[in-house]
Amino acid sequence: MKLESAQADTPLLLDRARRGDQAAFAALIRMHQSSVFSIGLRMLNRRDAAEDLAQDVFLQLYRKLDSIESIEHLGFWLRRVAANLAIDWLRRAAYTRGTPLEEGAEIPAPQADDDPLMDRELLRLLGELAPAARAVMVLRYQEDRDVAEIATALDMPVNTVKSHIKRSLTAMRGKMIGAQLITAEELP
Amino acid sequence: MNARLVSGLLALLIAGPLMAQAKGPPLRGQLLLPEMASLADKASESVSVTLDSQLLGFASRFLNPEDPDEAAAKKIVSSLTGIYVRKFTFDTDYAYPKADIEGIRRQLAAPGWSQIVGARSKKDQTNVDVYMLVDGGKARGLAIIASEPREFAVVNIVGSIDLEQLHELEGKFGVPEMQIESGKKPAVAPAPAAKEASKPRTP
Amino acid sequence: MKDIEESLRRAMRPVEPPQGFAERVMRALPERTAPANVVPLSIVRKTPAVAAWRRFSVPAALAASLLIAVFTGQHVATLQAEREEQAGLAASRELMQALRVTSQKLDLAYEAVQRPAPAPPAEEENRS
Repeated sequence: MKLESAQADTPLLLDRARRGDQAAFAALIRMHQSSVFSIGLRMLNRRDAAEDLAQDVFLQLYRKLDSIESIEHLGFWLRRVAANLAIDWLRRAAYTRGTPLEEGAEIPAPQADDDPLMDRELLRLLGELAPAARAVMVLRYQEDRDVAEIATALDMPVNTVKSHIKRSLTAMRGKMIGAQLITAEELP
Repeated sequence: MNARLVSGLLALLIAGPLMAQAKGPPLRGQLLLPEMASLADKASESVSVTLDSQLLGFASRFLNPEDPDEAAAKKIVSSLTGIYVRKFTFDTDYAYPKADIEGIRRQLAAPGWSQIVGARSKKDQTNVDVYMLVDGGKARGLAIIASEPREFAVVNIVGSIDLEQLHELEGKFGVPEMQIESGKKPAVAPAPAAKEASKPRTP
Repeated sequence: MKDIEESLRRAMRPVEPPQGFAERVMRALPERTAPANVVPLSIVRKTPAVAAWRRFSVPAALAASLLIAVFTGQHVATLQAEREEQAGLAASRELMQALRVTSQKLDLAYEAVQRPAPAPPAEEENRS
């Protein structure tokens, strides 16, 4: 569930959570948990690590509720903290490649136009990107954020964000062609 | 994140006999780590864990033996008498006073403590020092002081320390394993190190 | 380019965390206690309903008291067990966090030790 679709009831919940209403805070968690967990999952490639990361993010949110100014700020704040925390964890471990995907664990629920083989390969290639590039791609294609917001969230210049996207797509496309999952004719 | 362990609250919830026991002086191998409340207020994220032998035993009971990480943790802590961690992350460089670190280092100059790792990285501006207390030919205490531009951490482990088990900590508990020996190169060249170092950790 | 971007969006649709995630987060939160709503006993004693009950129902009250004591004792014990479990789970999470930080810092030390030492600067040749 994208963060925007959960925003309808969020102002009231946010206000109640700030005033100590634990049920309201739990509702905020449920609204945003898939997004935060998925950022962790795409970054760290492990469900247990993603859950730990997501929990850390919401524990931080609990502490910082008073500093959240609005619904929009909440979404931005969650994305920013999750992405930066994941980059931190990856950077310290000098993690350079993804672990093999578990069967059926990380792939979203199948829809009519799905191509599971391609999806799996794309996620594997995503896991091979360096942490900063991976975070850019996750915020771009999972969270559907624009370049300016990604630049602010990750504290990098806009041109660097664009460069990460371009290079990552080029690298991924090249490998997909090599794996014969797409043909060269599909290039623009 | 301010994931403080409220030791007093836990003590209230645990059965009476545990509450009645006096705290006593610090054990051999245990450092006096202040809570550093003022540092916690400045930090964007802080971790403060104080687990003496009673709380370690209590916490260990609730570890899931079917989870590989928690099973490994249970094995490691079975011979320990204390784990103490202070970690602070900041939004700006060197927001923590060096006097705090020096106060802890002075304790590590006491007899029995030896520095086994002293690493300085100019590139990452990271300093890591690892100390071991050896008593009667056995490792009884471990201390790690790690400072980076935006993070400062102290770890103190007390008890009968199995260095083999400690080595197994590397790569565990949700931290992806380092693949230094594998020689694998990333598919895309990583971003320049300078940019990585200046990235904020958390807002 | 567009096709691969659409494929990425599809592949990266958000997934739900394991069941019970929100509950686990809530258990890990620092406790907040609400003040109890205490009604003074003197107010309770003065109400007519309470006076009638005390006049006509003493044996029943005794039996009820015994039953209440049994169930209350069980309820208190259950509450205490639940509270202890919550505290224990919180403590175990703290323990795992401490070990995680230890692991991270040992990784840093290991990485620093494994890093090759910088080559010493070349000695100057003798000047003739």
